[in-house]
Amino acid sequence: MARIYVEGWSPDYGAPLAPDETLAPAEGSVDDTVETTTWRPLDGHDDGVDSVVFVDGVRRIDAHLTLDDPQVGPVSGLCGTFAVGAAVWDRTVPRTEVAAERVERWAILSGGRDEIFPPVDLEPGYATMTTTDPDPSAPLRALHSAMRSAEGNLATAMASDTFVIADGPLNELGPRPAVGYIKSHRVRYLSPERNAVVAALARGQRTPLFTIGGYARYSWYVRLAVVAQGHSWSGIVRCEAPNSLPTDQVVTLADRTAAMLPVVASEPHVDPRAPQNLVPIAGLERALRHRMGDPGLVVRRLREAVAERKAS
Amino acid sequence: MTRVGRVLGSEHTTTAGFRVVVDDDEYLQLDDLVVVATEVPKAGQVNTYGVVTEAEAVFEGATFESDTHRIAELGIMPGAKVRTVRVAVTRVDPEVWVSPDPGEEVERATGEARRKALYADEMARPLPVGLGRDGAPVHIDLDFFDGRKGGHMSISGISGVATKTSFALFFLRMLTAMPAVVGEGAANLRVLVFNVKGEDLLWLDAPNRVFEGDDDAREAWAALGVAPTPFDSVRFWAPPRRSAGDAIVPDTGGRLTGIDVFTWTPREFIDEDLLAYCFTDANDARNQLPFIRERVQLQLKRWAVGVDGMPGAVTLRDPSQSADGRAWRRGESVGAGQVEIVIRDLPSLVDALERHLEPGDGGEPDPAWTGRVMPGTVAAFLRRLHAASARLGHLVRDGESRRIDRTAATVTVVAIQSLHEQAQRFVVGAMLNETFREKEDTGQRLPLSVVVLDELNRYAPREGTGPLKDMLVDIAQRGRSLGVLLVGAQQTASRVAPEVLENAAIRVSGRLDAAEAERAEFGWMLPSTRARARLLKPGTMVVAQPAIPIPLVITFPFPPWATRKEEVAGDAGGDPFDGLT
Repeated sequence: MARIYVEGWSPDYGAPLAPDETLAPAEGSVDDTVETTTWRPLDGHDDGVDSVVFVDGVRRIDAHLTLDDPQVGPVSGLCGTFAVGAAVWDRTVPRTEVAAERVERWAILSGGRDEIFPPVDLEPGYATMTTTDPDPSAPLRALHSAMRSAEGNLATAMASDTFVIADGPLNELGPRPAVGYIKSHRVRYLSPERNAVVAALARGQRTPLFTIGGYARYSWYVRLAVVAQGHSWSGIVRCEAPNSLPTDQVVTLADRTAAMLPVVASEPHVDPRAPQNLVPIAGLERALRHRMGDPGLVVRRLREAVAERKAS
Repeated sequence: MTRVGRVLGSEHTTTAGFRVVVDDDEYLQLDDLVVVATEVPKAGQVNTYGVVTEAEAVFEGATFESDTHRIAELGIMPGAKVRTVRVAVTRVDPEVWVSPDPGEEVERATGEARRKALYADEMARPLPVGLGRDGAPVHIDLDFFDGRKGGHMSISGISGVATKTSFALFFLRMLTAMPAVVGEGAANLRVLVFNVKGEDLLWLDAPNRVFEGDDDAREAWAALGVAPTPFDSVRFWAPPRRSAGDAIVPDTGGRLTGIDVFTWTPREFIDEDLLAYCFTDANDARNQLPFIRERVQLQLKRWAVGVDGMPGAVTLRDPSQSADGRAWRRGESVGAGQVEIVIRDLPSLVDALERHLEPGDGGEPDPAWTGRVMPGTVAAFLRRLHAASARLGHLVRDGESRRIDRTAATVTVVAIQSLHEQAQRFVVGAMLNETFREKEDTGQRLPLSVVVLDELNRYAPREGTGPLKDMLVDIAQRGRSLGVLLVGAQQTASRVAPEVLENAAIRVSGRLDAAEAERAEFGWMLPSTRARARLLKPGTMVVAQPAIPIPLVITFPFPPWATRKEEVAGDAGGDPFDGLT
């Protein structure tokens, strides 16, 4: 019998479970036999890896721009800042430190314009890019892609010698020990009877691996926590790893995540997206937001930069 | 100098204080001295000196209390330990009163910078009064003790752990050991110390056997620049033992040798108005008692005449029989045979007085003696006189003068611990009176007279009046210019006459009672110092002086002199029966 639940996440962040049938994979494209054909919850295994790197990025719109062109009419754009970085969890101490922070500022104009935003007295300054996409949300998407790509580059760089957990789907799919960590579920990949295995997962357990046709990654579900007053999918996250890695290595990574992620999961009273928003990632995001600089100060500098150009 | 951190930039710096973020490989603790150089437009470099008043640490990045576990135990949350200290500014040099710039480098003040931080460079006569946390001496400007710019010292603290007397003696040792600093006042410096509890001060001349094995103390004395030796010029005085009959032996327990017995003769008692100090209870100032007391003092001076062959003794005789018909002159005497009552001690003086004040034959009291006060007042006067006679009668006796000779040694210790409280007040009053009058007569500041008095609240209480309190207030107010310097100690400053406290330029405190620390009397402490004053260990004191705007915490070393009999090294002053079986 169906029951009604209230989601644990703060509504500001959407819902962890927001199925969108239009995104459903094509019939028969999911292969849930890559690891095993007998689906049941699998226990995680912590192989004692020394350090774990969490990679994430944050972005912000600093200001909206309008290019007032008397010929073609106003052209919209934005100034945005993003920061990417890594929280390095040294498990031997144990301690987590924020490392490899990188801040970029972008002035993004739509309409394929070639104007360059004037120099701004900030470190780092603004680089200008343009997008030909006429959609009003295109500049923001461009900023987001730039951040995702910086995240991907950082994850790749860090994964050359350490185990990386990247926030969100994987961008770079080279054969490196990197795991993408997806907090919310919009697509039902599995059949109802396989979903029953997800529902049956205990804390620290995972499903067997599965692959999605046309999407070069292994996926698996992990239960982070048994959420009080939660439904069967509360506290479930999906992880993915590049399919360029051999399956047995992916199994090791999957076991590791199943054992380790519950340890770094957040508590409902501490984080509005608990337990999916991991503690190191929340701390990293806080540090990165801080590194982007004071938004009021940034806007002031932007106004000054534009005003100076007018005066000269 | 070594860099220890930077001025915290996330909150305002002020001219009164700022915070320092301490470098990872350095530390700062309470009382450490630091200096910051700030480049000020148009003024150039300004150095801000300060002292650490509080040290703090926090996990930056932790927003919830439970984040502590996430950072420290599991290590899953990024968080940095940040250690900061609060600094109270002691000095800005040159005097451009700007706050230090945020982010400036903070250095530990050593050498010349340390001297500047503590104004030692501006002190004309720096006298070490203890050691800072860094083991180097901390000075007071002697100008503020010996009367040039200020005078007196007030020491507060809980009995037992505050080490008030120990500090006072340590200070005296510094004072007597550094004639070069004390200057012209050092030559005939006289120190009067009252031993009011135990017999702690009766061994100042004896080496301490515990000290001999104490290398830390030895090192500290070396740092202070004073040879760790007992006081070299001390005389000890004690009242006579009551039960000893005619034999005059000091009324002390542990120490029996090297102690002189003090008494006053009736002649001295009358000439120096010591009767006043028999009436020192705060209640004695009420009614008409002071009136009749003064009247009697006056009459005694006129009537007292010596008795042939009995040094120190007097008799009362109508001065109309004297040479000028008004008062007997000193040195005049009458034959012993024609005398009815020879005043040889206090009881006989009271007897003699009674004849005039309350004649036993039913006659009227002599108005010349009573000053026409009500009969009840006369009775009250006599009642108190009888009580005084019982309590301190043994301090007055005829014969050769045994008064305390303050010139015999630099330090004069008067042991009054065995006396009744009223007798203690009498001795203190008599001695202070003697000291102060002597200086008043000369009007000179030199030679200096230092008086150390514990339990000041008993002699100069906040409430009430009396001749002793009046004199202490007088000394506090005028003693500075007359070279009479009071080192007063008390458990509760709030119970001491405010005039006495306010005039002390140097204020010192050991551990304080929590409630006492909050009182206005300790307004000179910083809030942080006040909080700490409840926790001070024996041997640690807070010292405030006009030359430095904030109080400093200092320690003073274990003394090289014995503070009780068991500490006496060898057998100096020991029990003469030691070793006998």
